[in-house]
Amino acid sequence: MRHRPFATAWAGLALIALTSCGPQLSTVEEGPSAPTGIAAGTTLYFLDDDGRLTAQHRETGRLGTVSEAVSLLLTGPGGSGLRTGIEPTTVTRNQVTVNGELMSVRVPVSSAEVSAEGIDQIVCTAFASRVQSGGPDRTRVAIEFTDRPEAPRSCPALG
Amino acid sequence: MRPPSPRRLLRTTTGLRGRLIITVVSVTVLGATGAAWAGVQRSATSLIEINQEHRTEDLVSRVTRAAPSVLYPPDADALDQLRGEIGENSLVVHQDAASGEGVFATGTALVPAQLREAVRAQTAGEHGHVLSQRVEIDGTPWLVIGAPVVVTEPDGARTPSGIEVYSAHDLTPVRDQVDALVRGAATTTAATLPLAVLLALLASRSVLRPVARLRETAQHLARGELDARVEPTGVDELAQLTRTINEMAASLQESINSIAALEEGSRRFAADVSHELRTPLTTLTAAVEVLHDVLSRAEAPGVSDEAEARESAHLAVVETRRLVELVEDIMEIARFDAGTARLRWERTDLVKVISACVRHRGWTRDVVISSPAGEDDREVVADRRRVDVVVANLVGNALAHGGAPVRVDVTATGEGVTVRVTDSGPGIPEDALPHVFSRFYKADTSRSRTTGSGLGLAIARENALLHDGAISAANHPDGGAAFTLWLPRRPTRATCHLRDEEQDP
Repeated sequence: MRHRPFATAWAGLALIALTSCGPQLSTVEEGPSAPTGIAAGTTLYFLDDDGRLTAQHRETGRLGTVSEAVSLLLTGPGGSGLRTGIEPTTVTRNQVTVNGELMSVRVPVSSAEVSAEGIDQIVCTAFASRVQSGGPDRTRVAIEFTDRPEAPRSCPALG
Repeated sequence: MRPPSPRRLLRTTTGLRGRLIITVVSVTVLGATGAAWAGVQRSATSLIEINQEHRTEDLVSRVTRAAPSVLYPPDADALDQLRGEIGENSLVVHQDAASGEGVFATGTALVPAQLREAVRAQTAGEHGHVLSQRVEIDGTPWLVIGAPVVVTEPDGARTPSGIEVYSAHDLTPVRDQVDALVRGAATTTAATLPLAVLLALLASRSVLRPVARLRETAQHLARGELDARVEPTGVDELAQLTRTINEMAASLQESINSIAALEEGSRRFAADVSHELRTPLTTLTAAVEVLHDVLSRAEAPGVSDEAEARESAHLAVVETRRLVELVEDIMEIARFDAGTARLRWERTDLVKVISACVRHRGWTRDVVISSPAGEDDREVVADRRRVDVVVANLVGNALAHGGAPVRVDVTATGEGVTVRVTDSGPGIPEDALPHVFSRFYKADTSRSRTTGSGLGLAIARENALLHDGAISAANHPDGGAAFTLWLPRRPTRATCHLRDEEQDP
């Protein structure tokens, strides 16, 4: 009778030791948000007849990169009936660098070749592409023209 | 070496030492094991969690990085492309098509049903999440991660794409790491065992050594060595016990000593009584024999015979009286020893009692009683008969051993009255002074035959003590022995008796 508490403690200890080794099997556990970035095409922003930003879905089969989206934008609206605020250019090569919530887009045109609406077009296209590939929706876009940089801003059409 | 007998082993494990060791070892090992277990558990959990977190984030980043370049809706090549980006042991499912590798080479068969269901049940939207589950495949622990791939609109809206991705990771390395942790903890715990035994042995020694010393002392006391003591060390319970045993031994020694002293006193008293009784009886025997001889020659009485007979008869009477006195004194002493002496408390004028005592015994010629003039208050509460006995003893003793004239001075103070009896003899030898109140003590050894019983001064002393008083003997500077009796005005033990008496009408 006197050693009963000790016996209980030892038994408990043995039980714990038996059940505590190695990684335990588990039920389903929830982790971070699901991956994204899959899409049937790229979203570009052009201007309608009234000069308002309009999204155009370009069926490319895949989302593509931000740089590819900006290149497509620079090539113009094609025969869709929409307008663009960016002077036509044959060179569409551009460079995108992401630093946290700030994204810089270096475009092969000068500021004089792009209207105020044109700047919004580039900003919104880059922003949409970034968000669709899983980027944060607070991303701000800074355009670097060949002559001067533009201050970082957000897309007026997407808040 | 002989193996310990079962009885000895039993005593070792059930005795104080055994119980102490078992307790200390148990507590130590339990504590160490508990701490080690908690540490291992925590480490293992965080190890597994970190691994799982890393794997799920890796899957998300790999899929997200690859997805923009994957054709949608996907064909078989697109599924293979995505699966290739995810890495080993991965599976990509879209509707009925699947692309698997490693453990998932056979398709969705090995995906845990619970996980698959949960992934498919996710209404993607905002709530699409990566899910994971630890399962056992072929006896090996695996972490299986599954997630739907969602389509995000430019405005942030998320819709399911119908593509599911899975990846599996072998948890054997993690399990090995956890096992190593457990082994390390077990080793540490095992290492505490000898340490705990050592600690318990030390503790038991420090506790049991004082106990052994106490036992030794108790054995000494039991053998009658009453001066055996233990030096108490510290302030703990054992030290208290030690002190208590010391006190017990001291009080035992004291009572045994006092019993021994009492026994010695009564033995000596009995011997003295026998001796004192034998002396007058011898004289009596001789006197009676002479009388017998004289009476047997009665037919021819001569003058010398008659004188001899008269002297013998006189001697017999004297010795008989002396015997009666002696027996009375012995009875008085016996009453003192038994504590049955009863006192009759009265207001007593000491000068009156002393005068009456001297007058009744016919000592008026040899005794001078003096009391300073103007001191009327020589009244004490006392038993008159006993005061009379004390005074008679002191004065009689002075007359017998000192010599006339004897002075009795009565002086009063606020607290009591002093009676000093001074004789005109040579005084008492210095070495006899401390013994004059002892029973049967005779200062003058050359004169073994005295008129007194040898108990007079002892009885006087006992009577003084009964009155809460004191009696002492000294030599007067001008020569002669001086006995001083001091009686308090109102003895403590007389107070209640007297009050009763006063209340009585």
